[in-house]
Amino acid sequence: MLRATWIVFQNEFRLLARDRASLFMLMVAPLVIITVAGFSLGNIYGAQPGSEPYAIVVVDNDRGSLAHALVDALGRDHAIAVVPAASLDAARAIIGGRARAPLCIVIPAGTSAAFATGRDVHLAIYIDPVKRLEAGAIELDLDRLCRAITSQAHAIAQQQIAAQATQLRAQLTQAAAQMKAAAAQLDQLRRQFESARATAQAEVTAQTHRTIERVSAQITAQINQSLEASRTAVAHDLAVRQDALRVVGRYLAQLEASRHDFTAWLAALKTAAGSHASQIPPPPQWPTPPDAAVMAELAKPFELPAARLDAAPSIAPANIAIRLPPIPELRGRGTLPDFSSAIARTAAPIPGILGWHERAIGGGDAHVNTFDQYVPGFGITFLLIDMLWGVGVGLIDERDWGTLARMRISGAPAAGLMLGKLTARFLIGLGQMILLFGAGWVLFGITLGRDSWALLMPAAAISFAAAAFSLVIACVARTRDAVLPIGAMAALAMSAIGGCWWPLDFEPAWLRAGALAMPTTWTMTAFNNVMIRGLGWTSAAGPAAITFAIGLAFLAIGIASSARIYRLAGQ
Amino acid sequence: MPPTALVEAAHLRKSYGARLAVDDLTFSVKAGEVVGLLGPNGAGKTTTLSMLATLIAPDAGEVRIAGFDSRVAPDRLRRRLGFVPQSIALYPPLSAFQNVEVFARLQGLTRPIAQARSSEALEAVGLGDRADDPVWSLSGGMQRRLNLACGMVHRPEALLLDEPTVGVDPQSRERIFTTIRAMAESGVAVLYSTHYMEEVERMCDRALLIDGGKLLAQGTVAQLIELGGRHPRMELTFDRVPRPGWHDGIAGVAAIAATLADGRVLLELANLGQIGELLERARNSGAQLLEFAVHSPNLSDAFIALTGRALRDKAAEN
Repeated sequence: MLRATWIVFQNEFRLLARDRASLFMLMVAPLVIITVAGFSLGNIYGAQPGSEPYAIVVVDNDRGSLAHALVDALGRDHAIAVVPAASLDAARAIIGGRARAPLCIVIPAGTSAAFATGRDVHLAIYIDPVKRLEAGAIELDLDRLCRAITSQAHAIAQQQIAAQATQLRAQLTQAAAQMKAAAAQLDQLRRQFESARATAQAEVTAQTHRTIERVSAQITAQINQSLEASRTAVAHDLAVRQDALRVVGRYLAQLEASRHDFTAWLAALKTAAGSHASQIPPPPQWPTPPDAAVMAELAKPFELPAARLDAAPSIAPANIAIRLPPIPELRGRGTLPDFSSAIARTAAPIPGILGWHERAIGGGDAHVNTFDQYVPGFGITFLLIDMLWGVGVGLIDERDWGTLARMRISGAPAAGLMLGKLTARFLIGLGQMILLFGAGWVLFGITLGRDSWALLMPAAAISFAAAAFSLVIACVARTRDAVLPIGAMAALAMSAIGGCWWPLDFEPAWLRAGALAMPTTWTMTAFNNVMIRGLGWTSAAGPAAITFAIGLAFLAIGIASSARIYRLAGQ
Repeated sequence: MPPTALVEAAHLRKSYGARLAVDDLTFSVKAGEVVGLLGPNGAGKTTTLSMLATLIAPDAGEVRIAGFDSRVAPDRLRRRLGFVPQSIALYPPLSAFQNVEVFARLQGLTRPIAQARSSEALEAVGLGDRADDPVWSLSGGMQRRLNLACGMVHRPEALLLDEPTVGVDPQSRERIFTTIRAMAESGVAVLYSTHYMEEVERMCDRALLIDGGKLLAQGTVAQLIELGGRHPRMELTFDRVPRPGWHDGIAGVAAIAATLADGRVLLELANLGQIGELLERARNSGAQLLEFAVHSPNLSDAFIALTGRALRDKAAEN
């Protein structure tokens, strides 16, 4: 079976290579439609670079700086061409006569002046209801523009305030420095005054002390002279009395010696008395002589203390304190203004503008390249149609050509033939999607997401589902003529409902519910997740798996039904 | 040792709803033999070949190709069978060579052998110089020859051909005949379906005459002509229906079929010497003789003799 599968597989590629119409439908036709759709329906996601600009009619009743800024900014927008009009009536005529003129902007008189004074201003926008879609897209751009202009004005004002604050801070800094220098000079003067005062006071004090010392010396000399005379008289008296004491001392010494001699005599008497010694009565008690120290004292000479003043009696300086007048305090020295906080403080900011920035929910830029929708969308549509051509019409062609019968007669199993054909067409479909995405990336700069390889999952799943779907159609439609009307109707409906041509959210709820049963819906969800929402590969895996599951269901139905085709061709 | 029967059909029966397409058909084709399957449109020729080729299953009966029963070993049977369908079963976008090669490979040949055999087959049918041309660029006759090449590229033991010369120019017809004869001479059993009795007379060793799904007769061409009688026939065309009994009284001359409304009359003669007298009578028949033709006995006569109607109608001849 594998051999037959491989041969049929190769043969499918040969047939494709020889079929210019199919090759055209595989690549050229989708690219043409994608290009046309991308540039024509770009308004759904905003105007695209390179497309014909929209005309915005401007009635400038203000003629001020704001109006000029607005017109200039509009003129810089690649998608917009500014058409001036003298009045609203003239603007109406222009909008009615031009296809791509969806709205008119009226700038009221005094707008610039009001804006400059900080008041709110409002532009008047008149739209053509028939061009509501285009107007909506332009209004979005206009809204961005207004916010940009207002932000720019705020930024300029903020810059001016900041510059003034900077200048003021410089002046304050300079004044503070000057005041600081003056204070330093005053401090120095004060120190000089205090030094001079101290010097003067020291000199006065020294002279006073010197006078006191001279007087004191004179007094001391007189006292010492008087004391010397007194001392001489006392020394004389003492010398007499000391001589008397010496006599007493010598007597006492002799008396002590007599006591020792009596004691010895008594002892000898008692010895001589023998047994009568006891009869000898005790001698009378000698008085206790003064001890030796007392006796020594009696012998010591009197010495008169030196009666002389070495120093003059002190005279307390306080008594002669001299007070110089104090240096007057500098008025205002302690009340210098403190500029430090004022210098450090920044200028008070103008309240900001509450705005918004668009970001894609999955991160990155919220700007959508229209082709991010249309390359996968129309790629899927053409994949379905080409698969109808390759599998559906191809199968019936082979039956009608008789080649299917011939293959069966060759002994190739039906399963092998089917597997080879479907596998080849699956790979052709996958290759078609890869080439379309590559062309979209090169030609239209489509976003491939942060996990580009993840796009292969839905591409492979829808290619498989489309091949199986085409097999079902080939079984439902009996003839070549029936395959394309029936299949194309089903393929186009699946594409439209599945969100290939416009965002799925445009559809009513009941249609969105029905779309859940279609492989196109899940495939587009996977592509949108990776390409537009900027999500990772996991966001594509689930929808791709569901697409694959739907493809499996198609395949089961197709295989069961395809037996009918083979019955037409053989036993 | 007698030649082996490589194609065998026994009591084949096939019906589509209430219509019986093939009824109890039994025959065989031996190796090296070319057997014609002759019958008018709708006789059951294609149904018979389709059953032999295993494209459709018979309601009853057996098919054997090279000894393999279609019910027991269909795949082995198919490997030994070559089939050239009535329709041109080719891939129009592919070249002649690619068409032959793909069927050769599906028959189990390796790529080098398939390529070599494809070149040989194309040379055999006279398309060697057009091998790289896409099928759609070939003439109808060339496509018929290519159709034949695809059926014989794997050198089958039995070859089934379903009206292979329909709409073919004389040059291509000759090339096809030559190729088929060469196949037979190499030992292939050939079953050749056609409603051209001339082709059977020229090509076939034997013929099977069928009509309404039934086998009317089979045998060599001479045997079948014998079945239809040896008398010459004369067909005369008048501008209107001639007077009744205008040829009565001539011994051995009799009308084969009723005079047609358009003035055609088919007569059987006893001998060619009666032509002059018949022409004289025709001049006095009340209608103007526009043309006449004389036929020697052939398979068509045999078919008419067996069925009472012509093998080919006007439309088929045109």
